[in-house]
Amino acid sequence: MVVRSYNDELKYLEKINDHCWRIKKGFQPNMNVEGCFYVNSRLEQLMLEELKNSCRPGAVGGFLPGVKQIANVAALPGIVGRSIGLPDIHSGYGFAIGNMAAFDMDDPLSVVSPGGVGFDINCGVRLLRTNLFEKDVQPVKEQLAQSLFDHIPVGVGSKGIIPMNARDLEEALEMGMDWSLREGYVWAEDKEHCEEYGRMLNADPAKVSMRAKKRGLPQLGTLGAGNHYAEIQVVDEIYDKWSASKMGIEEKGQVVVMIHSGSRGFGHQVATDALVEMEKAMKRDKIETNDRQLACARINSVEGQNYLKAMAAAANFAWVNRSSMTFLTRQAFAKMFNTTPDDLDMHVIYDVSHNIAKVENHIVEGKERKLLVHRKGSTRAFPPHHPLIPVDYQLTGQPVLVGGTMGTCSYVLTGTEQGMHETFGSTCHGAGRALSRAKSRRNLDYKEVLDKLDQLGIAIRVASPKLVMEEAPEAYKDVTDVVDTCHAAGISKKCIKMRPIAVIKG
Amino acid sequence: MLKQKLAALGHPSPNDVALSNRKEFASTILWLEDQKIRLYTIEDRDKLRNLQDMKLWEEAYLKYCSDLSMPALDTQLEQLTWIIGHAIRLEYLDDPEQYGSVQAEDIGGPKRNGTATVPQKVQTIFDGKINVDDKEFIAAVRQLATKLQVPHHPNHLLQLEAISRIVHERLSVTAKDRKPITGTPFPFDKGNDVVAGTDPKLDYPMRILRLLQIQNLRQLQTQINETIVAVQSLTANPKTDTKLGKVGR
Repeated sequence: MVVRSYNDELKYLEKINDHCWRIKKGFQPNMNVEGCFYVNSRLEQLMLEELKNSCRPGAVGGFLPGVKQIANVAALPGIVGRSIGLPDIHSGYGFAIGNMAAFDMDDPLSVVSPGGVGFDINCGVRLLRTNLFEKDVQPVKEQLAQSLFDHIPVGVGSKGIIPMNARDLEEALEMGMDWSLREGYVWAEDKEHCEEYGRMLNADPAKVSMRAKKRGLPQLGTLGAGNHYAEIQVVDEIYDKWSASKMGIEEKGQVVVMIHSGSRGFGHQVATDALVEMEKAMKRDKIETNDRQLACARINSVEGQNYLKAMAAAANFAWVNRSSMTFLTRQAFAKMFNTTPDDLDMHVIYDVSHNIAKVENHIVEGKERKLLVHRKGSTRAFPPHHPLIPVDYQLTGQPVLVGGTMGTCSYVLTGTEQGMHETFGSTCHGAGRALSRAKSRRNLDYKEVLDKLDQLGIAIRVASPKLVMEEAPEAYKDVTDVVDTCHAAGISKKCIKMRPIAVIKG
Repeated sequence: MLKQKLAALGHPSPNDVALSNRKEFASTILWLEDQKIRLYTIEDRDKLRNLQDMKLWEEAYLKYCSDLSMPALDTQLEQLTWIIGHAIRLEYLDDPEQYGSVQAEDIGGPKRNGTATVPQKVQTIFDGKINVDDKEFIAAVRQLATKLQVPHHPNHLLQLEAISRIVHERLSVTAKDRKPITGTPFPFDKGNDVVAGTDPKLDYPMRILRLLQIQNLRQLQTQINETIVAVQSLTANPKTDTKLGKVGR
């Protein structure tokens, strides 16, 4: 590891334009490609401050700063294009959260890294629309929040209310959302409006450890803890009227439901198992990385393939999980308004994944190439007419659902052609942490956080109030800054802004 | 394409034919009649020679079109295309053997075989039961096309396919029962999509083609959804058991 002063480090960074910085080769050893990151002036300060702090003598422990992590990823074998940091980037295990990187499938040395997917495999956001308006929901929002809370178990160690046995789980892991469809939990149109149609075809439950399955079984249909939530939101602003109408959003004040969740303990176990296995593979294949946390294996090695198949199973788990919660949300709304989910027009607008690795074709240097695209804390954002997006969004581009933090607003963006060229069709995924969990616990008081939400008129139900300060808006970057940066940089386009009126949380 | 056809017929200045000019158009028609088609005797062509008095010429042209039994075509371009096509056909029929040895691959054009001109749909429907090249059949297709205002195409079978599409989309029982589409229309040329950035002329037709493609995809997706729903009626049995639920710490 090179030790340099902050000013020396800055020599490797170059501001290309108002929203993008370049990380030159040499910033970290053995970089195969350059890095880059997207920021505006406020996010830029956070980014550089993090680097500055790590340059202070005696700074040890914790994760490396995000910029360093981007550069370390750029040193992985087989990476193509650039290692890209999105505006909501913050340090994580190995890869920063908000880092995307693509690896050439035709290069035998290319790697897959569980750190590049994250522990919460296929964590993602789903948005349901309704034909209700704020005036219909405001009077009953407390009851509705309670009803949602009763239907969807939340918190660490929560258990779901959809009965599952071991065989059901095996089938769900293989079939993803098709399982939910077969069992009648969701509608045919839900599958249509889901990334990958809610099923990774290469999933193989046999590659998943018993331990992961044991952890996962009781957790299907639960929200989980951490930054996961279900929110009742109202449309606050429509930037792109036509695209919004394609999504069934016609006017301000319309009520939507956002579900942010992942593969729970199941995905976590799959990632942990893979990291152990890969450490051995790295020794055998003599793969060297700048950071021990960047454990990886060649895509075509047994370990690489095992991971990809288990990861796909975890992705399917997450889709079944979100589908189960879709079912429960529809039930809760139908009971509250004494009607059917059909009559409430509770369609899925879209479902995005933001912790996943997928095989995609991209044009690199004028040639079409097959790549393994790692997106960790980054959302796919494909442009109009891309064959992998639903027919309903062929003219608008893929909807990108960006969840804010508890109490702040959320956004829907659409994918652009420019994003396809610059970032392999990727954009931000949320606000992104500004303070670490430990730091926010030290600095913030949970009562204050709850009071503040109350003042904003947001109904809230939490399983563990003492963890609330980890997720307080103050602990995060401003989601509006993040989204505006993506919009200004042209890698995705603003479409709708929503604000929450009720939150349920782990 | 028109210019190439004119050049093939030996027109002295195919590159200078400007369709925007009616006089130019008239003189091209006259040239075709004089040199190639020769429907009228030389004396009868006099009226078509009235290039100085366009009013007289237009009258003569109207009669000429009906004498040629040209189908009702709206634009100047369509009419000229048809007349040139007619002239080429006559030229070919004068001496078919001369062209017998010419093969598409020899001149680098797209490869064609006999069946390529018959659209597959039409082929499977008639499957040899009807002689699709029968004069009466062709006349009936043309008549239908005129009635439904389907643009002319030299291959009557392609035209038949277009007719079938219109009947299916607009006139069939299911189409009549279909609920009118509600909601805000999506403007044709205002999407987020870049279509043909370099050539604005290509933009419009490409948008149309893409919309047709999207329409096809939508139909396919709807069929898939209907199939899933049909299967769901057999397999679906969603259950919940609130006793299983446990809220975390």
